[in-house]
Amino acid sequence: MATRNRTLLFRKYRNSLRSVRAPLSSSSLTGTRSGGVGPVIEMASTSLLNPNRSYAPISTEDPGTSSKGAITVGLPPAWVDVSEEISVNIQRARTKMAELGKAHAKALMPSFGDGKEDQHNIESLTQEITFLLKKSEKQLQRLSASGPSEDSNVRKNVQRSLAMDLQLLSMELRKKQSTYLKRLRQQKEAGMDLEMDLSRNRYKPEEDDFGDMLNEHQMSKIKKSEEVSLEREKEIQQVVESVNDLAQIMKDLSALVIDQGTIVDRIDYNIENVATTVEDGLKQLQKAERTQRHGGMVKCASVLVILCFIMLLLLILKEIFL
Amino acid sequence: MVLVTSVRDYINRMLQDISGMKVLILDSETVSNVSIVYSQSELLQKEVFLVEMIDSISVSKESMSHLKAVYFIRPTSDNIQKLRYQLANPRFGEYHLFFSNLLKDTQIHILADSDEQEVVQQVQEYYADFVSGDPYHFTLNMASNHLYMIPAVVDPSGLQRFSDRVVDGIAAVFLALKRRPVIRYQRTSDTAKRIAHETAKLMYQHESALFDFRRTESSPLLLVIDRRDDPVTPLLNQWTYQAMVHELIGLQDNKVDLKSIGSLPKDQQVEVVLSSEQDAFFKSNMYENFGDIGMNIKRMVDDFQQVAKSNQNIQTVEDMARFVDNYPEYKKMQGNVSKHVTLVTEMSKLVEARKLMTVSQTEQDLACNGGQGAAYEAVTDLLNNESVSDIDRLRLVMLYALRYEKENPVQLMQLFNKLASRSPKYKPGLVQFLLKQAGVEKRTGDLFGNRDLLNIARNMARGLKGVENVYTQHQPLLFQTMESITRGRLRDVDYPFVGDHFQQGRPQEVVIFMVGGTTYEESRSVALQNATNSGVRFILGGTAVLNSKRFLKDLEEAQRISRSGSHMV
Repeated sequence: MATRNRTLLFRKYRNSLRSVRAPLSSSSLTGTRSGGVGPVIEMASTSLLNPNRSYAPISTEDPGTSSKGAITVGLPPAWVDVSEEISVNIQRARTKMAELGKAHAKALMPSFGDGKEDQHNIESLTQEITFLLKKSEKQLQRLSASGPSEDSNVRKNVQRSLAMDLQLLSMELRKKQSTYLKRLRQQKEAGMDLEMDLSRNRYKPEEDDFGDMLNEHQMSKIKKSEEVSLEREKEIQQVVESVNDLAQIMKDLSALVIDQGTIVDRIDYNIENVATTVEDGLKQLQKAERTQRHGGMVKCASVLVILCFIMLLLLILKEIFL
Repeated sequence: MVLVTSVRDYINRMLQDISGMKVLILDSETVSNVSIVYSQSELLQKEVFLVEMIDSISVSKESMSHLKAVYFIRPTSDNIQKLRYQLANPRFGEYHLFFSNLLKDTQIHILADSDEQEVVQQVQEYYADFVSGDPYHFTLNMASNHLYMIPAVVDPSGLQRFSDRVVDGIAAVFLALKRRPVIRYQRTSDTAKRIAHETAKLMYQHESALFDFRRTESSPLLLVIDRRDDPVTPLLNQWTYQAMVHELIGLQDNKVDLKSIGSLPKDQQVEVVLSSEQDAFFKSNMYENFGDIGMNIKRMVDDFQQVAKSNQNIQTVEDMARFVDNYPEYKKMQGNVSKHVTLVTEMSKLVEARKLMTVSQTEQDLACNGGQGAAYEAVTDLLNNESVSDIDRLRLVMLYALRYEKENPVQLMQLFNKLASRSPKYKPGLVQFLLKQAGVEKRTGDLFGNRDLLNIARNMARGLKGVENVYTQHQPLLFQTMESITRGRLRDVDYPFVGDHFQQGRPQEVVIFMVGGTTYEESRSVALQNATNSGVRFILGGTAVLNSKRFLKDLEEAQRISRSGSHMV
């Protein structure tokens, strides 16, 4: 697809017009020109994940054009900090999920050791991730804007975008957990079958001591199945807990996330909607103002204040004449 | 796919190199171009957290210097003026300007003059100046579409503006495709001829360097034709999904506005999206006829009910976990099912209320089969029928008039009188106006298959064989045109080349531009033709997408202007 860059031509015109417009400007100004950066300090690019932002609220005036001069490079609104925090948390959660994936893989590999510390590692990682997700979700609610302004639209959109990321992360976590558990269960069952086969093989040639052998093997089988059921119960507990946590997160998030492919996901629908909600909001505000002004409360209060004054006056008069 | 992908690529390129929080500013035309191919959630992923129109953005005085502004607008003088004001009082930290078509040097000069704060970082031309929602179909969504029917002397400046917009649109399409075509036009249409010549001038003279692309084996072909050569297709009632929705309810930028049907309860969504890119069910059913759609929807509902039942049957913890996992997909499926069911139900109601089955059968007979006497009887019956609406009566008379214009003028007059007496809404003379514009003398192609011997034979064979579906018998004239091009037999007499262009053999890529508008029946024809892999790829475009209501409105508007124009002259 073809494009055409007109920036050079534009800059050429701009420079020539600038020199025409202010032919008496000092040479120092022209000296500091560099590639389109004006006399005003430009804000460094504010990426959401870039912590090295310059917040300098410097306002300079262009001595060349006095009245039109200053753009105050102000601070971005405070909620941007909150959104940055959330995205930093999401990033942290993502790296931890990668670690979790590796830990899962390691735990699934057959090993000589007990595997207890692997389990411990996995548990702690999962807990950390869930905690991060929960915290992010709570902070996300704080981002909810009030009042119909342009800034609130930006806030709402930032909120939606972060909600989408959070939802994807939680679903990924769920999937990772469920595949891990499934594989774990498969392994355990395979291990158990193997052991049962081995024990059966050992069992067959010693049919003479049928009774005693039976008891022993039965006892060990019962013990094994007990262990297995205990473990399964523990796993089920884990699954239930994580399902609960994540279900809560998903429920809250689904209110914020856009359903893809529906009318809400259309840019033109959102623009029209914004226009109408801003108008509606304005009407509501005006109506509220009007009712407040003509409100009964105001009248009541003013009447009471006047009565107070009258009473005070009467009191003073009483004192004077008595 | 190609045009949709091009627009998406343009938008991606615009946004990817700019880091940080952005605000996207569009004008009333580019908002359609963008919304039909790009979704809000995708914008959010690219860190665009606010979308505004260029008109409303000067109203608010909030300064948001932590945002970078990305403008994507048409280079009209109106927009340039608004942009001047906004550059002189900048609200955002940086300004990146993208124009959807060619900028004039004076416009760049004006912008440079007003950029005193030097906030503009780049000025680019990204040629996404058309609305393309389907793989092989684009439109320019022009409001004053009716101007093509008016001779140049009546409103020369209006026609010039119309022509400029069309030329800009066609140029943008070819720049997006990176091709320079050989141009042919329909001889009998002045507007088509004018547009063809001005496009040639732009591509081969004024901006020759810009269009100088790598030559391929065979140059692509641009064929500019006129709607009036086939006035029958927009008048017919449609029975394939996408065309039917547009005909009965109205499809604008792939959105259906259900507000116009008063019968829906308040809580149901007032607007739905029908996009072949995003909706798999729609993609596989958009060209199917009404009966088949009904069956497919029933199947979809059954599948959905199965899933819903299994969701209610949660017994184990694993079931619970699976439900939570699949919930987003379940919700999406539910939304989709309810959308299609609502649409088909509403359309069925309309078909029933307007008795469209009977009306459409007569329409198809008028368009495809012969027999003037029987046709006259059928049309008279329907005119007398009380439950047939005014617009349907008008359409029937128009179709009859177009077909039997020269046969039996007495009966034709009787029909006109009957129409006038029954339908007070439609101003007299509209049918005559249509005949003046698109009557048998004005038309090039063999619209009713009764000029060319081959076509007559084909019709007779079809009549003997019988048709699969009475309601979808009709094939638009465009189909024949495409066949001729595929065989390399498009007649030079009817469709001459511009200037000294020439093409040997047959082209591999063809863009057919219909001045006056296309219909979804024709875009379906194009899609089906492309699916046959004949070695030629067709893309269809027009100044608008018509249904019968829009076509009649254009006729009325043109008639009104012609009348007032003739008074002036």
